[in-house]
Amino acid sequence: MPVEVIFPKVDMDMERGRIATWHVKPGERVSKSDPLFDIETDKAAMEVESPAEGFLHHVLAKEGSEVAIGVAVAWIYAEGEDVGDVPEGRPTPADAPPGREPDRDETQWQRPAQATSPLDAGNRRATPAARALAAQRGIDLKNIGGSGPRGRVQAKDVIANLQAPEPPLDTRSLPGWRPERGDLAVVRSGSGAHAPILMFHGLAADGPSLEALDPLLPQDREVLKMELPSHGRSPRRRVAGFADLARQVRVRFDDLALDNVHIVGHSLGGALALALADTRPRQVRSVTLISPAGLGPEFGGQILRGIIRAGSAASLGPWLRQLTSDPATITEDYVRAAMAARGDAAMRAAQADMACTLFPDDTQGFDVSGTLNRLDCPARIIWGRDDKVVPWRHALRAPGKVALHLLEGVGHLPHVERLEEVASILSDNVCRSSRSRAAN
Amino acid sequence: MNAESSVRGEVHELSYAESIRDAMDIALGSDERVVLMGEDIGVYGGAFQVTGSLVHKYGEDRVMDTPISELGGAGVAVGAALTGLRPIFEFQFSDFSTLAMEQIVNQAAKLRYMLGGAVSVPLVMRLPSGSGTGAAAQHSQSLEAWYGHVPGLKVAQPSTPRDAKGLLLAALEDPDPVLIFEHKLLYKMKGPVPSGYYTTPIGKAAVRREGTDLTIAANSIMALKAEEAAKTLADEGIDAEVIDLRTVRPIDRETVLASVRKTGRLLCVYEGVKTLGVGAEVSAMVAESDAFDFLDGPIVRLGGAECPIPYNPKLEEAVVPQVPAIIRAARDLANGAI
Amino acid sequence: MPDTPPGNTPYAVRAYRPEALREALRKMLLIRKFEEGAEECYMRGLIHGTMHLSIGQEASAVGACMSLGDDDKITSTHRGHGHCLAKGAGVDKMFAEFFGKETGYCRGRGGSMHIADVAKGNLGANGIVGGGLPIAVGSALSAKRLGTGAVTVCFFGDGANNEGAFHEALNMASIWKLPVIFVCENNRYGMSVPTERSTAVKNIADRAIAYAMPGVTLDGNDFSAVAEAVDGAVARARAGDGPSLIENVTYRTRGHSRSDRNRYRSRQEIALWTERDPIPRMAKMLVSHGVMTEDDVEKMEAAAADEIASGIEAARSAPEPGVEDATRDVYTVHSEAME
Repeated sequence: MPVEVIFPKVDMDMERGRIATWHVKPGERVSKSDPLFDIETDKAAMEVESPAEGFLHHVLAKEGSEVAIGVAVAWIYAEGEDVGDVPEGRPTPADAPPGREPDRDETQWQRPAQATSPLDAGNRRATPAARALAAQRGIDLKNIGGSGPRGRVQAKDVIANLQAPEPPLDTRSLPGWRPERGDLAVVRSGSGAHAPILMFHGLAADGPSLEALDPLLPQDREVLKMELPSHGRSPRRRVAGFADLARQVRVRFDDLALDNVHIVGHSLGGALALALADTRPRQVRSVTLISPAGLGPEFGGQILRGIIRAGSAASLGPWLRQLTSDPATITEDYVRAAMAARGDAAMRAAQADMACTLFPDDTQGFDVSGTLNRLDCPARIIWGRDDKVVPWRHALRAPGKVALHLLEGVGHLPHVERLEEVASILSDNVCRSSRSRAAN
Repeated sequence: MNAESSVRGEVHELSYAESIRDAMDIALGSDERVVLMGEDIGVYGGAFQVTGSLVHKYGEDRVMDTPISELGGAGVAVGAALTGLRPIFEFQFSDFSTLAMEQIVNQAAKLRYMLGGAVSVPLVMRLPSGSGTGAAAQHSQSLEAWYGHVPGLKVAQPSTPRDAKGLLLAALEDPDPVLIFEHKLLYKMKGPVPSGYYTTPIGKAAVRREGTDLTIAANSIMALKAEEAAKTLADEGIDAEVIDLRTVRPIDRETVLASVRKTGRLLCVYEGVKTLGVGAEVSAMVAESDAFDFLDGPIVRLGGAECPIPYNPKLEEAVVPQVPAIIRAARDLANGAI
Repeated sequence: MPDTPPGNTPYAVRAYRPEALREALRKMLLIRKFEEGAEECYMRGLIHGTMHLSIGQEASAVGACMSLGDDDKITSTHRGHGHCLAKGAGVDKMFAEFFGKETGYCRGRGGSMHIADVAKGNLGANGIVGGGLPIAVGSALSAKRLGTGAVTVCFFGDGANNEGAFHEALNMASIWKLPVIFVCENNRYGMSVPTERSTAVKNIADRAIAYAMPGVTLDGNDFSAVAEAVDGAVARARAGDGPSLIENVTYRTRGHSRSDRNRYRSRQEIALWTERDPIPRMAKMLVSHGVMTEDDVEKMEAAAADEIASGIEAARSAPEPGVEDATRDVYTVHSEAME
């Protein structure tokens, strides 16, 4: 009998999700616990392991397709087992197309089901291609303006919507920008035989903003800094949402082909570090989060908007000083250097768009807190008690196995405000993790 | 059956009519069972000079002038096919086949089935078809959809000299009745035709032009008009894929569906009356298939007007799809304007 | 009809050996029993659709096939059971076809109206009045072109003589001098309309003049007369002298089809023709010329009845065609694209 591969429930209030990537092609051999596919939900992305050893067949859910939990998305056949028709008995994606509630037993755990009617999307004029594309990308046709006759939504309208989910709220004074091609930039420094450290900066920052840590970290390994889309030397790109951003990061991470890596993330980079750890658990040896986003709704959006919008040192300085507990930490030189790195107006416009997408109405529109419970590598959170951008109390959602370092008199930039202390905590996490893995 | 059978020998420029004659010459010369039957196909050479001088080469027993008896003549051809000959029956105009509907539809198409597979009717009929000659309502129809509706028949519509020969020779190889609708306006059109024997598969459409923005599925002369339209569209930046259906029964589903999956838009162009025509079948085929999901606009049909073919040349031109109309429809479809 | 005077030996007795004559009577009896059996099955609800019985016309069917071999062809009509059996078909496969079974001549696809045993030269019964006429001419054209020496007997009814196909077919057969014998079974009615009201000429055979071929009208219930006329026409056709038209005047004692209520003819007329039944006349001729005894005839009739009974029994238990095969045999080479 072939073994069903179920689209699993990974978050408590999850009803459906998307298959982001299949790691195994139909017909290929897979071992038990090999990574089989990545899933994405509104809140998380994670890797699903193979439930059995054998050969993958009947892959019913394509990459990008939205699937209800509990649905069979493929089957694994033992060597020599006859592959016939798709086995019956379980709901498959075809049985429960997107937009319909799947049958479930544990309804008491679910949010009250929304009264969705198949006609909610159906009464919108749209071409079959547009409907298929929207369903595949989990987009509600109601939110899309149709460019065809009588407002008919066409495929190109859905595609345009993918790339520009909402108009920037606050960009009237900002120039426009165009997406660019190319890979996300990765800055490398140091070398050595040990597992490298990979860092992610936060919104409106860049790779060099974390450079000060380099000389204080263990010198026996390489340090890499991946720059987010529309940041630093990375190309300007549209970001459809947090899951899309995490996917872009994951794609670049996979390119780097790092077998073992310690990951570090600040603010938005912290949320991305968590998302990456969730989907690539085999490669990630430790996680260090500095003032991470994604653990709660509150967000000091005004400060970030001010930084992003600032076109001169004079307008940038006051906002930067909001980031730290002691405004004096941010010197005029610091401000001038920061402004020099932010001179490209198109980049600032792209960052504004990204901010609008990720933090609508000054709210963190994504939640990766569930990830913390699933982490099986050492993890530490470093947070300043005076953080005005992301409140440190979000850290309290972390489970007991995650170490929490709360720093007095520190704001949103612990690695600037307490460079040595942060480097020390980080180094400790890296070295201990290396030892513990080696001991195993 | 998926590709033109291997072609050897030189390629000559022949007209559509010459190419059909070449096919019949090859058939008569290589198979004693082949006979041509039809009205005035002997010394007259056929109403459209397709049989030409074949009677002088093969004699009146092989190139048989029939009386003006379409029903009887068609029936004789059915009986002859049933009992060992391979007749090629020429109707002077496809319109006259209505006189022979009984033999074509009740007998030729059904005998094999009614007799539980005990017989075959290897009959080829040639039907000069279509408008544009000023011959008005009873000499200008496009009746391929009528016959395409009948299980047991096969219906081919070559649009090039090369296919005209290949499809006729393929029809002669076929054990079942094949009706070949030849467009009268094409008889003088020249094109490359390989010498010697080759066949063009029945049931396989030809992609005349590859494109990404829309699929134009057309039959007979409309495939050529669609190609011409596609050239103009290309100048406007619209990349049309043109499919020449070549046979409407069996109809090549896969080629059409694959194209629509690629382009997301379908324009059907056919000369027969629009309602219940070939384009209706092509449209339904797409609507019923998985290719439906790829449609990014309505399916559009351009067919003949809902009237007999008129005599007046302006009217005659107006009642069947012409290149400018194809361009307009394709442009609107590709631009999402309809 | 007067008895044949002693000393004036009929053509059939002179022309055929006794075995052939006995076989001819056996076939006539078999046709009669077959149709009576089919009629009974129909009335019992065992057979669906309809059927056209030729009871009373057996001499025409059997007499016309006397000088035909398996290579010679016939085309038949909707009233074709007799032609089929006369040309050598087996009762079992015919009944299987009536019952719509896979083992029938047409694998259950044709039924009564399209019954055919192609191997025996029967190109098929035809549901279209006049449908077989041009086909028979085509068959004769094949024989001539391919030099097979075969002839084609084209059975048709009085109704078909007013179809265009009749005239076109006779004309072409004549201009091309084809080996075809047109055998008209004039049973007096095209469904309900009598020939006097439907046909301009008195005898259908008079039409032969228009197509420059011999035409003869004869008593179609007289086996010997039918055989004599057809044998002569066959010889003429085989000699390359072209077609002939023979009109067998006969009568169907049953209605046109199973739904006929005989409103167009009188009981007296039916009774009159029942007295002219060709089978007792044939039996009497054979007995009177010492070909067989009354006892032989009775035994032959009983044997025919038994053959019919076992044919019906076998057909009832024969396998049905599979629904999944409903589209088989539309084309010679099956392909999904044709479905």
